[in-house]
Amino acid sequence: MTTRIPIDSRKARVVALAAVLIVAAGIVWLRYVPLGEMQANAIRAGRRPTGAPQLVSVHTIPGWAEGEMCEWVPASAGSSLVSMFTEPQAQGVPARRVPAPPAPTPEEVAAVNGRAPVRMIKDHYPSYSAVAVDLKNDEVIMTDESTFSILTYERTTNTPPSAAFSEPKRKIFGHNTWIEYQCGVYVDQATGDIYAVNNDTVDRLVVFSRNAKGDVPPDRIIHTPHTTYGIAVDEPHQELFLTVQEAAAVTVYRKHAAEDEPPIRLLQGEKTLLADPHGIAVDSTRDLLFVSNFGAATEKDSAIIDPRGQGYFGAVDKPNWPLARNAAIPGSGKFLPPSITVYPRDAEGDVAPVRRIEGPRTQLNWPTALTVDPKRGEIFVANDTGDSVLVFDVTADGDVPPKRVIKGPRSMIKSPTGVFYDWEHDELWVANFGNHTATVYPATASGDAAPLRVVRSAPLNTGTPNIGNAYAPAYDSKRDQILVPN
Amino acid sequence: MSHPQIAIFARLADGNAAPVRAIAGQKTLLTRSTHGIAYDHIRDVFMVPNFYAQAIQVFRGDADGEVAPLRIIQGPLTRLHNPDKLMLDVVNNEILIPQRDHVLVFDGNAEGNVAPKRVLGPRPGLGALVVDADPIHDLLVVAGAGGGYTGRFQIFDRTASGNVEPKWVIAGPNTQLQRFMGPIAVQPTRGLIVAGIRTNEELGGPDNFVGVWNLFARGDAPPIYRIGGPNVLLEQVRGITLNPKHKELIVTDKRINGVMTYYFPEIF
Repeated sequence: MTTRIPIDSRKARVVALAAVLIVAAGIVWLRYVPLGEMQANAIRAGRRPTGAPQLVSVHTIPGWAEGEMCEWVPASAGSSLVSMFTEPQAQGVPARRVPAPPAPTPEEVAAVNGRAPVRMIKDHYPSYSAVAVDLKNDEVIMTDESTFSILTYERTTNTPPSAAFSEPKRKIFGHNTWIEYQCGVYVDQATGDIYAVNNDTVDRLVVFSRNAKGDVPPDRIIHTPHTTYGIAVDEPHQELFLTVQEAAAVTVYRKHAAEDEPPIRLLQGEKTLLADPHGIAVDSTRDLLFVSNFGAATEKDSAIIDPRGQGYFGAVDKPNWPLARNAAIPGSGKFLPPSITVYPRDAEGDVAPVRRIEGPRTQLNWPTALTVDPKRGEIFVANDTGDSVLVFDVTADGDVPPKRVIKGPRSMIKSPTGVFYDWEHDELWVANFGNHTATVYPATASGDAAPLRVVRSAPLNTGTPNIGNAYAPAYDSKRDQILVPN
Repeated sequence: MSHPQIAIFARLADGNAAPVRAIAGQKTLLTRSTHGIAYDHIRDVFMVPNFYAQAIQVFRGDADGEVAPLRIIQGPLTRLHNPDKLMLDVVNNEILIPQRDHVLVFDGNAEGNVAPKRVLGPRPGLGALVVDADPIHDLLVVAGAGGGYTGRFQIFDRTASGNVEPKWVIAGPNTQLQRFMGPIAVQPTRGLIVAGIRTNEELGGPDNFVGVWNLFARGDAPPIYRIGGPNVLLEQVRGITLNPKHKELIVTDKRINGVMTYYFPEIF
């Protein structure tokens, strides 16, 4: 038996569907029409913004009467309503509500394929991220995260204000080098060997001989956990320390480890209070280990690792390998205050720090690299977003103010991410990621001290995009701006 | 990389342009490895996932400098597990978080320790790396690994939950889908999916590209358009976003270490 629907009822349903269509079109329009235009229209129409979609107006839908509408199925509508206007759809095969774009011609496809960007935001000059001095050879070595290089200059280089920039004596760069986002550097004072840590992309610590230049392979590689950041070497014990951000850990290798050799020690666990660790320094005279922490952390449990997996998400069959995302407990994330945690040099496992510098008086603000002056018993902190270098006693503990702060426009310190104490010349080096410079100060400098020397890698006042491994752009249609997180 | 931040550039910025504003510093609670971001032009906020702290952070649209987020989603009820990517369905005010074998969906206004309003999955083999919603056709596109280094698009009802079959799948050698790194975008008014495709080289390779696929294609369907590869500028594509207002495609690339804008009227 067939049910006949009265004409008035059908009309009512048509009107109802038209209303649904108009509201849906309004929602889509709300998403894709620039907000400024919408606001102007709203003002003209005498409407007030409510922050929610509104029925703007009612118009005859073009093509509706002529039957030229595209096939249209309201996915969220009731089935009886759908069946009034459409043929039954094959299961799982939705109908388009918008016209299919015409197939492009081969010429159009080719033109798109080779299309050049109309704009490209990119830092074309080196941005110094880490610094170390080769005292024996009177050279300074910088890592560069903008153009992916390791640069060596004369230690006494001082770029004149009139110069565009200083040319390095040697530059190591290219695919063969495995250099990319090198955020930490160590120079072996006996041999001049350069150790450079990769942060996020290729999980290799690369070691080059002092005279390496150009696109040369490293002399040695250590395959490291993902997201290593800081590096320190304890020469008396021939041990190499790395912080690991994601794992909130410190891994310790033999200094001369190579390839897949595992760490010899691991510092990791809730008691350590390691949380997004960055900088690391060893005071070999006092047998202490210092680590700077940004503060983000998760709890980890080795029992939840999927043994079938590999790499990031599964088990890694190496002793002293830190637990990472593979063992993170969902929902256990937390934010801790920034800190500098202090451990015995040979700390291992889940041990609490012996001291912790933490609190509002410390001025810590994304504390990044660390370096120690063992003679004065001071630790220098590259305080990234504080645009400062903080100096603490190595015995400092708790919520204590720094004993000195270098900061201010004359100091030229901007987003410092690298520091190095030169004990022969009693100088402090700072790598300023935010302004294409490395600056040098007397070790006792304080306040808005002008640098003794400046090494500059770009013309004065060159813009600094500070882009690094940007994954996700977004477009702000309200302000016509592009959002780019690192 | 050394300095975390959200840099915000003028649309016409080019070359060594400095950002017009940047969000960075301890109060922001940001960390490095922010691999997702989405802007909501209706509510004028943007949001990012925080991988290390298992959180979603929401900022005012005009945020600048060292500012605290407006609100944070974080805690055991959230089921956030090192969230790496994030997309926003502005029309339905929902936050989408892919987490391999499942996709968490939060109310756009959620705050604190709240449960997701919906979860697609867990579904073995879902491989959800990035997602986007199509509010016109009420679809959810899940981009992810299809085995080895091949990729695939699985298309679900937008409100699908639990262990359900995709409505259809775009996968196969002709699709040229490989690894997805950053956000993809559905262009619903044309029924298209736009995605950056990374090849398997660690540092970068000659055949990275941005492709455009027909959302309604099924099976082993080739891209309609490709920008890049072989040897056309792009070296290791990360993510993309669309600027419908100016008919532009915005692409990030790790090895170029830059942000490229292409005029691409064909897809709008």
